[in-house]
Amino acid sequence: MSNQNFQAGRRDFLVKSAAASGGLVIGFHMPGFALAADAPGAPEVTHWIVIQPDDTVIIRIARSELGQGTFTGLSQLVAEELECDWSKVRPEYADVNMHIKRNKIFKDMSTGGSRGIRDSQEYVRQAGASAREMLIAAAAQEWGVPAAECKAERSVITHPSGKRTTYGKVAAAASKLEVPKEPKLKDKKDWKIIGTSPARFDIPDKTTGKQIYAADVRLPGMLHASVVQVPVFGGKLKRYDEAAVKDMIGVKKVVAGEDWVAVVANNWWRANEAIKVLPVEWDVGENGNVSSESIMQFLRSGLDAASAPVARKDGDADAAFAGAAKVIEAEYYSGYLNHATMEPQTATALYTDDKLEVWVGTQNGEASIAAAAETAGLPLDNVFVHKMHAGGGFGRRGPHQEYTKQAVKIAQSMPGTPVRLQWSREEDMKQGRYRPVSLVKLRAALDKDGNWTAWQVRQADQSIIATVRPTMIKDGVDPINTRCFVDNPYKVANFTNEYAMRQTHIPPGFWRAVAHTNNPFYRECFIDELAHAAGKDPYEFRRPFLEGKKDLGVLDAVAKAVGWGTPAPKGVHRGIAVVDSYGSFTAAAVELSVENGTVIDVKRVIVAIDPGHIVHADAVKAQLEGGVIWGLSAIMHEEITIKDGRVVQSNFSDYPVLHLLHTPKIEAVIMPTGGFWGGVGEPPIGGVIPAMGNAIFAATGKRIRSMPLKNHGFSYKT
Amino acid sequence: MGSAIKPSGRRPVGRGLEEQGRGPRYEDRVTTENAFTRPAARGPRPPLAVSGIHDAGRRRALGALAAGVCLLITRPAIATPDELVVALRETFGDRKIQPGRVRFELPRLAENGNIVPALVSVDSPMTEQDYVRAIHIFSEKNPLPRILEMRLGPHNGRAAVSARIRMATTQQVLAVAEMSDGTLWSAAVDIDVTVSSCT
Amino acid sequence: MSRIGPARVRVPEQAKRGDIVEIRTMVEHPNESGFRHDNMGRPIPRHIVTSFNCTYNGKEVFSAVLHPAVSTNPYMTFHLRAVETGDLVFTWKDDQGGVTTATQKLTVV
Repeated sequence: MSNQNFQAGRRDFLVKSAAASGGLVIGFHMPGFALAADAPGAPEVTHWIVIQPDDTVIIRIARSELGQGTFTGLSQLVAEELECDWSKVRPEYADVNMHIKRNKIFKDMSTGGSRGIRDSQEYVRQAGASAREMLIAAAAQEWGVPAAECKAERSVITHPSGKRTTYGKVAAAASKLEVPKEPKLKDKKDWKIIGTSPARFDIPDKTTGKQIYAADVRLPGMLHASVVQVPVFGGKLKRYDEAAVKDMIGVKKVVAGEDWVAVVANNWWRANEAIKVLPVEWDVGENGNVSSESIMQFLRSGLDAASAPVARKDGDADAAFAGAAKVIEAEYYSGYLNHATMEPQTATALYTDDKLEVWVGTQNGEASIAAAAETAGLPLDNVFVHKMHAGGGFGRRGPHQEYTKQAVKIAQSMPGTPVRLQWSREEDMKQGRYRPVSLVKLRAALDKDGNWTAWQVRQADQSIIATVRPTMIKDGVDPINTRCFVDNPYKVANFTNEYAMRQTHIPPGFWRAVAHTNNPFYRECFIDELAHAAGKDPYEFRRPFLEGKKDLGVLDAVAKAVGWGTPAPKGVHRGIAVVDSYGSFTAAAVELSVENGTVIDVKRVIVAIDPGHIVHADAVKAQLEGGVIWGLSAIMHEEITIKDGRVVQSNFSDYPVLHLLHTPKIEAVIMPTGGFWGGVGEPPIGGVIPAMGNAIFAATGKRIRSMPLKNHGFSYKT
Repeated sequence: MGSAIKPSGRRPVGRGLEEQGRGPRYEDRVTTENAFTRPAARGPRPPLAVSGIHDAGRRRALGALAAGVCLLITRPAIATPDELVVALRETFGDRKIQPGRVRFELPRLAENGNIVPALVSVDSPMTEQDYVRAIHIFSEKNPLPRILEMRLGPHNGRAAVSARIRMATTQQVLAVAEMSDGTLWSAAVDIDVTVSSCT
Repeated sequence: MSRIGPARVRVPEQAKRGDIVEIRTMVEHPNESGFRHDNMGRPIPRHIVTSFNCTYNGKEVFSAVLHPAVSTNPYMTFHLRAVETGDLVFTWKDDQGGVTTATQKLTVV
């Protein structure tokens, strides 16, 4: 395909949907192509908002839609201030290339850390308010009346004289006005759209199968690639025998990188068949003998070390221990976890002359364009990243863009031909960026009355941040991995948190909720141990230490909802936990029964959250439900193990996730108290895991100190 | 060493600060300490002013440079310790740092910041009477504010240098040219290190 | 001891008198910043190239002071006015006493 043809086809090229593999070809406007601003007569009122003559309001969304509802929530924030007709709102991705060319006009494009709403709420509301003021000013100017006399409601501007116009009619004039720098935002009590639950924009296409994911991208003349990467991380590609596969049907080319090799073919199955039989020799380097056992020993050296960097030290824990009536000690562990997104890592690239286009499901358009430009050696202005919807992200598709780089390298070796690289499921399982391992030792002192007087935490774990931003490590302490301890809400006078970094060759990554997937399990189960050692109720034991904190509000709410203090149904046992993270406060309670000592029947899970403000109430509820499912999956099933330096697991057969039939009744207690904006995507995960552990103890008397539960002989009741 | 080692990914050059969008800043970026714990709401970056950079600074002193290096010389400063300000003072004493005459090219984005091509050129005839004596590159948010100091003279013929540098995180970077007449000229540019913005 | 690696420089073989030529330089060196950690979280000691200079027939025509934020295998370019045929001598020194030099002849016609 010549460059010229490609230009011609750029705006409305064809995409075959996955469902249409029978030959049906659907014309589809890809995100980033048919920008509304390109259409004649559709002016950009502000860079966030384009209003078409028919009053359609296009709202540009900088964050990625991963099923969390950000297209809807961010649109609500804009529309609230814009005073537009909600039925006319249509969100679309903000163009990454435009963003770069206009000096990062869309601000933060990354989607992670439960930051989508809380970090952008103010400036996107300001965008809506600015646009409203501009639209009113344009109408007032046209009518020759003071803008203050005009009013806007549901995309209609009126003047007491009876004059009336719509946003679509004045948008062109409004777009020529200066953008107000400090538009007045509405008082919270006047919100009409924020806090409601309008129908989500992303759900219909997902429900009907119309949604186009990165893996569904089809371009004319496209080829497909499957890759195999060095199985021992850090190793290199030594040699491969292209001759062995070059005559296989459909095979076009073999392309190699420093630690990977890919086969390009005329369909993906053929590419993958060829990669499976391609003779490849690796230099696995020095890590070929590493195993889960050796990693455990390495972590243990962190607990055994005479000293470790101190993350926090309050009071005098040693003195408190010396005078303790009772000292409780425990060790907790959790292993590697994979994101295991439903859609394996996928990127499509087309390199023509000095231009590069990439279609990728990404949690960070900037990271993708930076990775693509650096790999291709092209200026950013010549690189076009088209954000596709991603079939799951969970932190996998943000800072780690190796699939994007591979696709670019392959495409660069065949200019003019679009190549779609899709990792096989096996590759996706074995080449993750895993939630790291950790081993933690906790000690606490109780006085003669069972009061908690001191505690010490020594963490030995693998730092993610040391691999991506080493300068954030201060005096040996990882500020992310110590979260939940270093910033714990419990008011105990004597507390020491030590951190022993132990880096293995397994690449760590940010897995939904990051350190709040395991640290809450350690902390909240250990506090449960303390309560039992003190002969106190686990809920009542915590309360005095949380006085005056918002944590207490959610803990009380969840206790009330589960009926704590009242008898549970026969055979049903309860566990409770409280965790704040990502700016929000959550607590969880679990009710379960255990049959034959090993078969767990989770009756219900209740999660309470105080995120300060709610934008889309139903999306918050969905995130709570999703977080519970995520947690129940992790605590029972998920574990990546290492043998001969390699990941053992290869697919969902040996890395199962929670099944629908094991999903319990989930109740959400949403209790925004205002005054702050917290996240909702990750916070709900922290509480459910320890609440499960505590309920299992209540039911069986067995204290679970490592995940997953399957290693202790447990299973979910089918 | 042919064109293969030419730094790539640079943005168009020769634009003034205004053209680069530094007038009304929408800027609201990641800060070193809190990429992972950003406050829920933050206002636009304040148009800080540091004057007499010699007598002070504040934690985000290069914010001043962001808002326009010209502010450096015009308003009083708020005195709190700042490594960059200290470094500038140690290097240049009381002398004014003025915006202009320096072109500083850095990619707008870098994936991990380990190898960032930087080009600095200075508008100077490079004659015995009028030349660039030194070019300095300073960082706002690296662990250390100094990056590189290069000494030149009329024998160089052209005041254009390049290097590959490390950027710890999203920040602004400052190039200062020291002229033979003792005046100081500068340009500040933004760079985003995308790995900063992970979960 | 010197762990400072070999250097590569690119100088045009010849130039006309008065021409301004571009000089490209690189030295292989880990340039360990001192801000990274080993696998036990201990800081990896700083080991960087701290100075560079270039002489042209014995006279210094360019020099640099390098700090930890210069990338691995320090790379720099600068310009030079060709005035007479002679040797360009490039010298890198690191903070552990390592020294590397490279020499290139510039022929001026």
